[in-house]
Amino acid sequence: MSSPDWTESFRQESSELLETLEGALLDLCDQPDDRELIDCAFRALHTIKGSGSMFGFDKVANFTHEFETAFDRVRKGEIPPTRELITVALAAKDYIRALIEAPDSTDQIIGDGILDDLRRFVAPSSEQETASPQPAASPVAADEDTNDDTDLAGWRLHLEFESHILRNGSNPLHLLDDLCKLGPCFAVALIDDVPLLDALDPEECYLKWDVTLHSACSRDIIDDIFMFVIDEMTLTVTPLTRRELSPAALTPTPKTPAPRTAIADPTPPPAPKEAERAQEPRREEPKRSDDRGIATVRVQARRLDEMMDRVGELVIAQARLSQLASASSDPSIKIIAEEIERLAGSLRDTTMGARMVPIGSLFGRFRRLVHDLSLELSKPVDLITSGEDTELDKTMIECLADPLVHLIRNAIDHGIEQTAVRNAAGKTDKGRIELHAIHSGAQVLVTVRDNGAGLNTARIRAKAEELGLLSTDAELPDADIHQFLFHPGFSTAQTISALSGRGVGMDVVKRTIENMRGSIDMATRPGEGTTVTLRLPLTLAIIEGLMIRVGEGRYIIPLSAVEECVELTADDQRARGRNFLNIRGDLVPFLMLRDMLYATGAPDEYQKTIIVSTGETRVGLVADQIIGSHQTVIKSLSKLHSDVTIFSGATILGDGTAALILDVAQLVTLAQAHADKQHLNEAA
Amino acid sequence: MVSEYLKSKQAVKLPADCSISAIREVHGMIRDAFEQPAALEIDGSCVDKADVTSIQLLISTAKTGREHGRAVALTAPSEALRNVIRRAGFAGDAAVDHHFSHKMDGI
Repeated sequence: MSSPDWTESFRQESSELLETLEGALLDLCDQPDDRELIDCAFRALHTIKGSGSMFGFDKVANFTHEFETAFDRVRKGEIPPTRELITVALAAKDYIRALIEAPDSTDQIIGDGILDDLRRFVAPSSEQETASPQPAASPVAADEDTNDDTDLAGWRLHLEFESHILRNGSNPLHLLDDLCKLGPCFAVALIDDVPLLDALDPEECYLKWDVTLHSACSRDIIDDIFMFVIDEMTLTVTPLTRRELSPAALTPTPKTPAPRTAIADPTPPPAPKEAERAQEPRREEPKRSDDRGIATVRVQARRLDEMMDRVGELVIAQARLSQLASASSDPSIKIIAEEIERLAGSLRDTTMGARMVPIGSLFGRFRRLVHDLSLELSKPVDLITSGEDTELDKTMIECLADPLVHLIRNAIDHGIEQTAVRNAAGKTDKGRIELHAIHSGAQVLVTVRDNGAGLNTARIRAKAEELGLLSTDAELPDADIHQFLFHPGFSTAQTISALSGRGVGMDVVKRTIENMRGSIDMATRPGEGTTVTLRLPLTLAIIEGLMIRVGEGRYIIPLSAVEECVELTADDQRARGRNFLNIRGDLVPFLMLRDMLYATGAPDEYQKTIIVSTGETRVGLVADQIIGSHQTVIKSLSKLHSDVTIFSGATILGDGTAALILDVAQLVTLAQAHADKQHLNEAA
Repeated sequence: MVSEYLKSKQAVKLPADCSISAIREVHGMIRDAFEQPAALEIDGSCVDKADVTSIQLLISTAKTGREHGRAVALTAPSEALRNVIRRAGFAGDAAVDHHFSHKMDGI
């Protein structure tokens, strides 16, 4: 077994911590008074610094140390986290990421510049230095006031740790050492809970401590020492006045059989304000169980991919076994085949479940994008997300990032108006972008909605005419004109701006989504905004399919697209020229797959129609036979078949032959083009 | 009779590493030593790595000795062990003597 790659572990851990840091910084923009957010950012910095130093990332450790030092004034409440300061802090966070990912190619001058900016923001101005005492704004100032009022001279602490804490690598002695750095400190170990040898688990923590600290430091400084273990301990802190710090308290070790009782002096009445805070238990939630540490396990994404591949192969082999068993007369073979089918199905569901990732991990990235664009374009914009718990296959999440970046950038750059324009239109100063995800059957709908100006249909039409995509006298509904946005080359021309440069146009967005077997819907209202909805399958690896036969070939239709199956009546066939079915009063166009797929052999007497839906469109696909549902392990087609758009992939059947998977959206598009051509010919 | 009994002693030399990574073995070693009907002398002269687990084990040993009427002594604790004992809140001889009353060299 290979030894773990600690460097890679540090990179992964740091990546998560940097995301946490970024999230906290962005939240601080809206909630600058939230101490928990400031502490959260500081904890992330502190951990990155410590881990960086431990794993030899000295540049990271040094820079983060400087960052942390500068940010410390914010943590102490001496200066507020202004938007400008947070922007510099975000740049510092980006620089740390660069130092971690490419330490050799990262220019130190950039880092120095960022640190200079940070220091400039946090440095006390001469006015601040010479001014009379600040109004009671900061917690530290409040603490100092409290100290003066109550003559705070020290603290009494009682420390109790969860039993597993030593196994986690935490060391209470370091915490005691840190307390000693604050001033004269007398710790007394409480041994009552240490069991006899037979009952002792030598790796558990039984000792507790009572500590008397002679320092008028603020409570926050004490809390900082315990910030990384506070969830795994009970910390009770009581302030002591000079009067209460009797000389007896300086006696380091009571020589009595029960040390705990020796130091159990009657607790004097605590100082007001600080005492109220201090005597509250630092951890109010119930203790978590010791197995909390193994509730989640970090697994390399590559291993999940490999596991999915193996499961895919297993499903194919199981299909073959089931086929052989069905032809066998041996009942025991049938029983074991059914058992393996059940187990393979269960394993498939479990594996697919393990690959599911909440889309919130993706949404979080866009907060920074919106923040930066908002500043760059001087358009205040709120990003509102919902449905973050909606889960998608991790591959889908990865593929979805670029399209969503482009849609959000478009929405801010082209959709949201400047503040003056918004005010003139009676809108609020701030634009709004909503990012929403929700499960809908076997699909996930991801919606990007803005409350901007909506699509400029006239401008799109003019551009289409300029590019020769549309004749000047052609009459098209607005929705069709908007579809030109997805035309290759169209969006590039539309998005030439300082924000462009990623090379991803709306055509690429559409292609990416369709490659994921998804689709895009767009709706817009002039003056009210635009909504883009991405419809995506849950996974790219294995789908439920409906197997059909057309001529002698077998094909798979994704079951998520199938609405119902009906028999093609003689009347329908006679009316083939119209190519419409009457489905309970609705006219539904149908496609003869035999014609489209150039099927050989005689058609079946009773043809079947599978009604599928693509977005708003319902279409019937006429096949010779519906074979049944099929666990479809999707295999990509080779590059040689890249121009065959009506198939989204292939799968291997139980008998070892291949079946092609129909891309319903492409089929409909192709059929519509054929129909249009046919109409034109008939008209001619 | 009692004095004769105490004359027979079982010595355990603590290894250099008495930290959490090795403490389970040290625990087993001391438990084995308790199997012998003799006073127990724990030699801490070689210890160069110690932590909270080491201190707890020594305290547990002392308690067990008291419980079973067996004498337990800690002898010649190394500088590293003394340092950890002090940091853990046993700030002077008195605190340790209370647990290892027979022999406490150098704390």
